[in-house]
Amino acid sequence: MAIAQAMCSSFKKELLEGTHNFATGGNAFKLALFAEGSGGKSSTTATLGAASTILVTTGEVASSGSYVTGGAALTKVGATLSGTTGITDFADLSFTTATITAMGALIYNDTNGNKAVCVLDFTSNKTSTSGTFTIQFPTADASNAIIRIA
Amino acid sequence: MFDLSVAEVGAVNVVTSDNGGLSNDQIAEMATNKIVYVSDSAPPPIKEQAHVFSDKVHNILRYYVDLARREERATIVQTIKEAGHPDLANIIRRL
Repeated sequence: MAIAQAMCSSFKKELLEGTHNFATGGNAFKLALFAEGSGGKSSTTATLGAASTILVTTGEVASSGSYVTGGAALTKVGATLSGTTGITDFADLSFTTATITAMGALIYNDTNGNKAVCVLDFTSNKTSTSGTFTIQFPTADASNAIIRIA
Repeated sequence: MFDLSVAEVGAVNVVTSDNGGLSNDQIAEMATNKIVYVSDSAPPPIKEQAHVFSDKVHNILRYYVDLARREERATIVQTIKEAGHPDLANIIRRL
């Protein structure tokens, strides 16, 4: 599979090195959308997964409506504990008046060299045509939060 | 020794629309998802009760999303009318 949901392996190492700061007022994180089957800009296909280390342009969807290549800033809700599990959360993200077909997304650290955090696999192509493309993040708890460290 | 036994990524929900913004129902559904989460591993009676509650929350949210959009449109229509654009006001009123 060209896009496989995963926490990037490099991110785990970088966490131990203090590269990523999810605290409010910490690093800025962004989300970029990617396509498979030559659906990316210039007919490219994304290859994203645990081995991803950095934001790449191959397979990223083209700018449309309020989506601009490179993606959009995520609003951090901040790191916290749910029981004994460390979690973080982001506010939902919407792109409006956009014609987009995306199969997944990459969350990356915009402050620290576009280093990859995690890959999101939408499991099927999601399409908006001159409409809204919204990514809703899961419930911020120990079982569902977008990033969990138990 | 630190043992980070599980580092996981949650599943996002992608909601899209064509030729305009999200529908009232989609917005109500998204809000419901944030308020009520029904665990797959919950005992059946609890799960059933939670689903009933979730449906009720969805219906209430749907009603107030409808109302909020209608009232917002009414304010916009009035402002545009007062600015001397009755035709445009009518188009928005009919949305």
